Amino acid sequence: MQWDAHARKAHARKARARKARARKARAREVLARHANHVARAFLFLLAALPQAARGDWLLGADASLRHDDNVGNAQYRADIVEDSVIGARLSVYQALPLGESYSLTVGGDLGGESFHRFTGLDNASLGATIALRKKWGLGAFAPWARASLSLARLDYDYSYRNAWNYRATLASGRRIDDRWNLWADYAYERRAAHAGAQEVPGLSGDAYSQNSHNLGAHLQYAWNERASVVLGLLARHGDVVSTTAGSARIFYASRALAEDPAFGPEDYAYRIRATTYGVSIGLEFSPTAHSALGCAFARFETHADGGNNYTKSIPQITWDYRF
Amino acid sequence: MNKLLAAAGFAFLWAAAPACAAELHVFVKDQRGRPVADAVVLATAMDPKGAPRAKPPIDAVDQVDKQFVPYVKPVFVGSKVRFPNSDHIRHQVYSFSPAKKFELPLYGGTDAPPVIFDKPGVVVLGCNIHDWMVGYIYVSETPFFAKTAASGTAAILDLPPGDYTVRVWHPSMQRGEETTSRRLTVSDGAATNAEWQLDLKPIPRIPRVSGAASPNYP
Repeated sequence: MQWDAHARKAHARKARARKARARKARAREVLARHANHVARAFLFLLAALPQAARGDWLLGADASLRHDDNVGNAQYRADIVEDSVIGARLSVYQALPLGESYSLTVGGDLGGESFHRFTGLDNASLGATIALRKKWGLGAFAPWARASLSLARLDYDYSYRNAWNYRATLASGRRIDDRWNLWADYAYERRAAHAGAQEVPGLSGDAYSQNSHNLGAHLQYAWNERASVVLGLLARHGDVVSTTAGSARIFYASRALAEDPAFGPEDYAYRIRATTYGVSIGLEFSPTAHSALGCAFARFETHADGGNNYTKSIPQITWDYRF
Repeated sequence: MNKLLAAAGFAFLWAAAPACAAELHVFVKDQRGRPVADAVVLATAMDPKGAPRAKPPIDAVDQVDKQFVPYVKPVFVGSKVRFPNSDHIRHQVYSFSPAKKFELPLYGGTDAPPVIFDKPGVVVLGCNIHDWMVGYIYVSETPFFAKTAASGTAAILDLPPGDYTVRVWHPSMQRGEETTSRRLTVSDGAATNAEWQLDLKPIPRIPRVSGAASPNYP
């Protein structure tokens, strides 16, 4: 009888798990359909808007080399791994002035990243952005604000990390004088990935989907005609993915768990809630009117649920070209 | 008939003028001895009665590759300046300078009407769409002026002989143009040479490309 009771409870648990899986599958289906609709809408806008008004083509290319001293966002020294990443991006935008005060920018970019050690993280991305900018007044020193929506598809070498990335940004700023430029931004970001297999009953396998709120403040100082210094402050609250060998502390704090073979066959990725604070300093130099070389250093400190805190430093060099 | 004779006489005098005119050749260098381009050299006659009244010409400042071309344009007071746009995009040219405040709403090609610069002084040009675009129009009170080339040299030809106050202006100069003022005498049919050294300071410019900060770029 006791065995029967256990069997009934186990059966009920399995039924609940099946229902939960079915609900998640339906949600994923809806999300995928929604993503397709949004992607189509963006493509339509990209195709239609340049026809509707005469705009300026903005073509850009950029490349970067960065070093991440904690690629997996791990807490313990034994789990911390570092890697170098080469990135490149091509972008095409149309800026459409809408009268004296407003301008609309629509466009897209194609990018890619190549990791030196963890090649499973190599990825390509295709994105689209629409941005509305308002300027209060005439000239370079008039305050401005911008609202933008962007959508990007990220495809990784290890496809379990593939995701749609949605981002809504509000930014505002003002050039104070010839030398000082100040701006701030807020962004809500949603990354929708495929849920992996459930490794632990009752714990989601959707470790790579994330939501986050991001706040940034930036100050640029023009040193001379060609060089400038940029200081940045960042605060981020939301999901982070931490890949570690695992511990009870991170297990109980995590909201989702999935295998992460890009780091190793025994590694697991944990989605946890965290707040990150960051600071960055960068130098930019324009060797020509169309290009800029930059080097920057960023330091981040993350405080995650359950005391799963970690830090990371990212030095990087960049090259930007605008046609 | 009298008008015809007067016109013929004026034409003769105008044609003969170079033969009895002087030339001023100027070299402008910076504090390191390097030639300074885009410096405006102005010669003002000490006796204004002797200076001919030139008719202000129609000048132009073009927009090429999202830059004002030329970067510095000296014009005679009262000149009309056109702002043709040779780019395939639209520009919105403006100036807040006391010597001339104006705005040309978004336009392309040669659609914009000319602007009359009727007050002497420096007019700083900008584009409301492309914040990094900066240009200068120097509105001169005297008709005798020239702009230095990349070699740092400039020549004012056809100067009536006499005494002049000569000044130099440049957008990057540390001190005012009055500090460069110098009295020179130019003689009939002769070339006078003069040299200026300017203390220049770098002008902070809004970067056209910035990976970290591109408010114009999403």
